[in-house]
Amino acid sequence: MTSSKFPQLQHTATTSSFLDIAATLVSPKSFLFNAHCTTAPPLLPPQRSPTMDKAQQPSSFQQLEKLGEGTYATVFKGRNRQTGELVALKEIHLDSEEGTPSTAIREISLMKELKHESIVSLYDVIHTENKLMLVFEYMDKDLKKYMDTRGDRGQLDQATIKSFMHQLMNGIAFCHENRVLHRDLKPQNLLINKKGQLKLGDFGLARAFGIPVNTFSNEVVTLWYRAPDVLLGSRTYNTSIDIWSAGCIMAELYTGRPLFPGTTNEDQLQKIFRLMGTPSERSWPGISQLPEYRANPHVYATQDLGHILPQIDPLGLDLLNRMLQLRPEMRISAHDALQHPWFQDLPQLQAQLQQQQQQQQQQLGASGYGGMMPPQQAY
Amino acid sequence: MAYNKRPTSSYQPCDTFFVEPYDDFPVPRMDPKEHAKLIARERQYAIADQLSRIASEEYREDVLSHMLDMDASTLPDVESIDIQTEIQWFMRPYLLDFLIEAHTAFQLLPSTLFLTANLLDRYCSKRVVYKRHYQLVGCAALLIAAKYGDKKDRVPTIRELKSMCCSLYDDDMFIQMEWHVLQTLGWTIGHPTVDSFLQMAVLDTPYDPEVEHLALYIAEISLFHREFVSRPSSDLARASLALARCILNRPQPRHTEWASQYDSMTLVSLSQQLHQPSQVLSRKYSSSHYSRVSKILEQFLARQASIASYTPPSPPSNVASAESKPYEGEIGLATPQKAPHPSNLPHGYITPPITPENEGFTNGNNAGFVKTVQMSNACSPSPTPSPSVQYMAPNPFQQEPAYVAQQQYLQPQMSFTTGY
Repeated sequence: MTSSKFPQLQHTATTSSFLDIAATLVSPKSFLFNAHCTTAPPLLPPQRSPTMDKAQQPSSFQQLEKLGEGTYATVFKGRNRQTGELVALKEIHLDSEEGTPSTAIREISLMKELKHESIVSLYDVIHTENKLMLVFEYMDKDLKKYMDTRGDRGQLDQATIKSFMHQLMNGIAFCHENRVLHRDLKPQNLLINKKGQLKLGDFGLARAFGIPVNTFSNEVVTLWYRAPDVLLGSRTYNTSIDIWSAGCIMAELYTGRPLFPGTTNEDQLQKIFRLMGTPSERSWPGISQLPEYRANPHVYATQDLGHILPQIDPLGLDLLNRMLQLRPEMRISAHDALQHPWFQDLPQLQAQLQQQQQQQQQQLGASGYGGMMPPQQAY
Repeated sequence: MAYNKRPTSSYQPCDTFFVEPYDDFPVPRMDPKEHAKLIARERQYAIADQLSRIASEEYREDVLSHMLDMDASTLPDVESIDIQTEIQWFMRPYLLDFLIEAHTAFQLLPSTLFLTANLLDRYCSKRVVYKRHYQLVGCAALLIAAKYGDKKDRVPTIRELKSMCCSLYDDDMFIQMEWHVLQTLGWTIGHPTVDSFLQMAVLDTPYDPEVEHLALYIAEISLFHREFVSRPSSDLARASLALARCILNRPQPRHTEWASQYDSMTLVSLSQQLHQPSQVLSRKYSSSHYSRVSKILEQFLARQASIASYTPPSPPSNVASAESKPYEGEIGLATPQKAPHPSNLPHGYITPPITPENEGFTNGNNAGFVKTVQMSNACSPSPTPSPSVQYMAPNPFQQEPAYVAQQQYLQPQMSFTTGY
């Protein structure tokens, strides 16, 4: 080994080895580091990826109106000055203390791996002095706004619901196949474009999981869409966490209102149990071992979801029930959900939807609206 | 049980850095509350295991194929590192020692160490790195790897890293280097590590901490050697696992699926690097959290060495009467102290790697070696032509089936000739 060949560099393998290595690797006297990273010129002819190189300047995008604000980022609408293409610009303020936030590292590296029609594409990453700008494919609305502006008090029609759910499960299945948990599925993070496509966005809480799945933080997922096992303090959740959220979203598509709008962790669990029934050690072996488990004074019986969702058909109800299982291990997987008979008539429904859209476009075209706007502007 | 320890092994308590490594504190009596908590945690793990099995069944194939793709596309290029002007390969072990100590001190996930090395080497495959910045790149790699995979509260702060580097670098430099590494690697951080493949490979076998820890130890030893830097993690994981099983005398699983297939040449190369592991590493793995596998490996190597260098106590004609007693004693008592220095070992293979068919090695408790030696000693007393030629044969794996048959007389031959 090297230590014998280089006795003058003998490594003592004690805690003071930091000193040794510093002496070996760094010559403090000659030390200089200039602010522009010129110290590390490319070793090889630059082989930067074309997508990451196309537009390195924030100025190559015209910043338009603000689309939304998250905990660690602000999203703007933007336009590529060269191509005129619309984009979404996600600005992340860099914490000067600790460098690049872990959320950004995870989001960017995971989204680079996830190229799928049901997942928003990441075009570029631009870094300026104090902020990081992610350039995403432009989507017109998030599902929340879409429901507010369209539909009858937020309720959507059967065909749209089915189409959205199929795309949602497709996106989730793709994430899970590529060992990524989204961990923050909610209508605000599902984006809709004019073609009626639904895509998963905001992978700020996402992370890669191993097989077997490790333990994670339970501070994930917006309260209303958080799975009961996570609410009970389980840190060993896995892909089933995203399925619960998807189930909540499905119900919301029917009613236009969130299914379990809790205010606190406790209240959230109450709301879930009131509808899904209070679990016991018998119906959910091991539940009493969960950290947040309290012997519940109110024992609720399981309600029929069909009462709350009168519009839903029996097959849809069956799928919803499989997604909203209290026990994580009983929840259906995204993969299996896609095979559910409820989706069988989707192709016919989609054909109908397309027809409707075309009709609407023609109407719009006739009304002289289409000159400025892309023809498929309205749904 | 298979499940109840696996999740705990993800976070190993730190006992090699600020704390004295060998002090065994008496275990305080556990009060009932603690005990109940512990049981609750165990049950949690049971539930987790069930959950994880469900996810595994569902997505294992897909996840594996994605991991293999990612593995292949995120490998460092040793030849590019070769042409670095300032940093040299001999410096790398020092940096790795430093990173391993830091990794242990911060109690990061096992995966994080492999990821750190991957990011470091990939950066060095693409950028000129000055000697005085090598450690800074290492720290930036560690920081990114921890941010990617570890819990937030475990991620080292820049202040901590700075003090570990004896304030050689400013806070700013860590941030800039972190950024530069991310940019250079095009933000592709999700390299599937040896550890993640290892976890996948042992999924179907009953939990055996010794095997897993030894495999992890071997995999970490491999980090130190140039020849493995560009090897896919999946190959290293399976070969380390196979080698660990072979050293610990565990049967190799016989299924034909991904997990049980390994490249025997990788296994041989790994087995040749076990003799002088980094002291930092062997100390890390001498703790009970890692089943003291570095000690186990040392003892194994010593035993191998004593077999290889055994000199019969009397002339060959008397060997038959001397018989197996002293032999057995010699081998049975072989301790690391008694053994010749590892560098005296023939720089070849530790006993030839074993095929699953080889019954001698599935007998358990290391008796295989002793037994074959005894038997053969009795029936072939005269030294025969040097077997070292065969022993060093370029491709001993081709001979494996023959080896099983020959073993009876091969072993003593070997010991005689090396004695002469």
